[in-house]
Amino acid sequence: MPSTLLQLCCSAMETLAPKLPSLKVLNPSSSSSSPSCSTARSSSSLRAGLRRPFSLSISASAVREGDPAVGSVSLGHVTRTDFPILHQEVNGSKLVYLDNAATSQKPTAVLKALQNYYEAYNSNVHRGIHFLSSKATDAYELARKKVAAFINASESTEIVFTKNATEAINLVAYSWGLSTLKPEDEVVLTIAEHHSAIVPWQLVAQKTGAVLKFVNLDETESPDIEKLRQMLSRKTKIVVVHHVSNMLASVLPIEEIVLWAHDVGAKVLVDACQSVPHMAVNVQDLDADFLVASSHKMCGPTGMGFLYGKRELLSAMPPFLGGGEMISDVFLDHSTYAEPPSRFEAGTPAIGEAIGLGAAIDYLSGIGMQKIHEYELELAKYLYENLLSVPNIRIYGPVPSGNTNRAALCSFNVENIHPTDIATFLDQQHGVAIRSGHHCAQPLHRYLGVNASARASLYFYNTKEDVDDFVRALNDTVSFFTSFK
Amino acid sequence: MISSPFIPRVPLSSSSSSSSSSSSGPVMLPYLSNYPRPKRNDFKSRNLAFMPLKCIHNSRFDSSSESDARLPSFSASCLTATEATLASSDLVADRLRRVVAEFRSLPEPIDRVKRLLHYAALLSPLGDSARAPENRVTGCTTQVWVEAELDKLGRVRFRADSDSEISKGFCSCLIYMLDGAEPEEVVKVKSEDLADLNVGLHGKAHSRVNTWHNVLIAMQKRTTALLAGSE
Repeated sequence: MPSTLLQLCCSAMETLAPKLPSLKVLNPSSSSSSPSCSTARSSSSLRAGLRRPFSLSISASAVREGDPAVGSVSLGHVTRTDFPILHQEVNGSKLVYLDNAATSQKPTAVLKALQNYYEAYNSNVHRGIHFLSSKATDAYELARKKVAAFINASESTEIVFTKNATEAINLVAYSWGLSTLKPEDEVVLTIAEHHSAIVPWQLVAQKTGAVLKFVNLDETESPDIEKLRQMLSRKTKIVVVHHVSNMLASVLPIEEIVLWAHDVGAKVLVDACQSVPHMAVNVQDLDADFLVASSHKMCGPTGMGFLYGKRELLSAMPPFLGGGEMISDVFLDHSTYAEPPSRFEAGTPAIGEAIGLGAAIDYLSGIGMQKIHEYELELAKYLYENLLSVPNIRIYGPVPSGNTNRAALCSFNVENIHPTDIATFLDQQHGVAIRSGHHCAQPLHRYLGVNASARASLYFYNTKEDVDDFVRALNDTVSFFTSFK
Repeated sequence: MISSPFIPRVPLSSSSSSSSSSSSGPVMLPYLSNYPRPKRNDFKSRNLAFMPLKCIHNSRFDSSSESDARLPSFSASCLTATEATLASSDLVADRLRRVVAEFRSLPEPIDRVKRLLHYAALLSPLGDSARAPENRVTGCTTQVWVEAELDKLGRVRFRADSDSEISKGFCSCLIYMLDGAEPEEVVKVKSEDLADLNVGLHGKAHSRVNTWHNVLIAMQKRTTALLAGSE
């Protein structure tokens, strides 16, 4: 029956395309997906195929080794087979996961690393002399080396494992900030910072009498870096800025900002949560003093983040949390503290999660961050251009142009429809997962005159088909709410 | 996760005798036809039952309307003879059962959201002054405002609004259940009871963005504060 054939055809495309040159015409990376396949997508047999892609799925590493046919297959198609979670139905529809700025999915390699740790060598680190503890310690410290190499830190002792990026920022605020800031000192931030980069500094400012100064957006709806430059003075002690905005998709020129800040003797803390997973970040090139990122946004486990700090800064900083692991000697009335990074890792760390992050870095490095970045730039453009076709839509952040690249995410509102209503309908009627709310950026939303927005955010395992599905579903959602009114 | 008016599209065993509406059919209030007509000579409620839907849900935050205190502002159709003779505790439980039955009778998620949007349309909007920060319900991804007041009979009168149509639908249902109830009955309702509503919850998880849960808690907190204030 033709419909069955179609279903088979589309199902095969989903799982076999990377290996079959003859299926190039079906490759949706050409942005013109076959209408017949679109129709068949809702069939139950296709869904079954999507739920259980058969064992011919091709890992990113296998593809990298060079099947000439894969040259025309997008990175998204190649890598999505590594992510079992993507191949399922949600509320009766094929899952389209577009909430990657909130958290990324995990490839099989990371899942296996976690399972292997708990099955084969789970043990506490740094203090045991037995075989398992030694093996766990080696793996934990190897993960630190992998993180250091990934962001090109000069040594692995400059990497402090934290439970997330938020804790990493708090560590700097409470340790460096409380011991350094004096009344009238200034902390410069942008209004587009994530709450986790604002609130710790508010708390520290309240304790020290330091002043927070915020940079607004310019006419392009990016943080106004000229204003930021003008705001810097000898009073400025630290500049706290994102690298890539989780709402505006804008990218800040960190190297320039660091130069300006260092000129006035200020330090720079970079919130790299939305950049490290998506592009090559080199802390030595940036010359950033502190940089934080989060494991779960870069294919690693939750419960794990890291702080990069220049060695001389970390060495001079007092402890943040007290406990085991971070001490040198403990007496009843005082203690002496270990050298960084142990000084800042009180208690048993998230060992399995660190090892999982190491596996995620191996996976990402295997693909290549430059390749990921280039593919995501293409996706970003495709997403932005296609979203513009939705009636009465307002997309926040800079308009992409020759000089202005956007990250592969779009925050938006559709006139007279609440973004949470949109996200709800997209999830339940179309299986499309996006975020709604203020994205932990209330000051930015307030500045833009809205309480909330919807956000679709992509990662390298997304495809242009995902974008097509999303835009189609969004149009249907808008029609539904409009007709109901 | 966001608070959703749906649950996965699986057939549900209906606990209601009300008929399931199709997604293309007009949005109806099942209990308009499935519950007995008011027997007592209450011209006001009978008239309301025949009013256009948009007009039914007039806000009655006027504490002077003592005779209306036990009559939910949600819909005149709820003003059945049975209900008129129920104790307050039975009233809340009865209304909860009706709402549960109604949403359980709709197996298609899209029908449940249509129903919620319908109820949202019945809810009178709050004025700007009531959309004040002190009336905000915390923890929702949408903006929700709740006002509560004790009427002369000591019953709690609620008003609510939201900038989201779906959240407004939740508010509308909660007001139907709780408006005009005794304070003790309001605080007795458990959020678990709402899980049976088959709408707005993923499983029975207490999400921080679960509007049902957050608005209920807000109503209960305000009720407790009113009681404390009146003592």
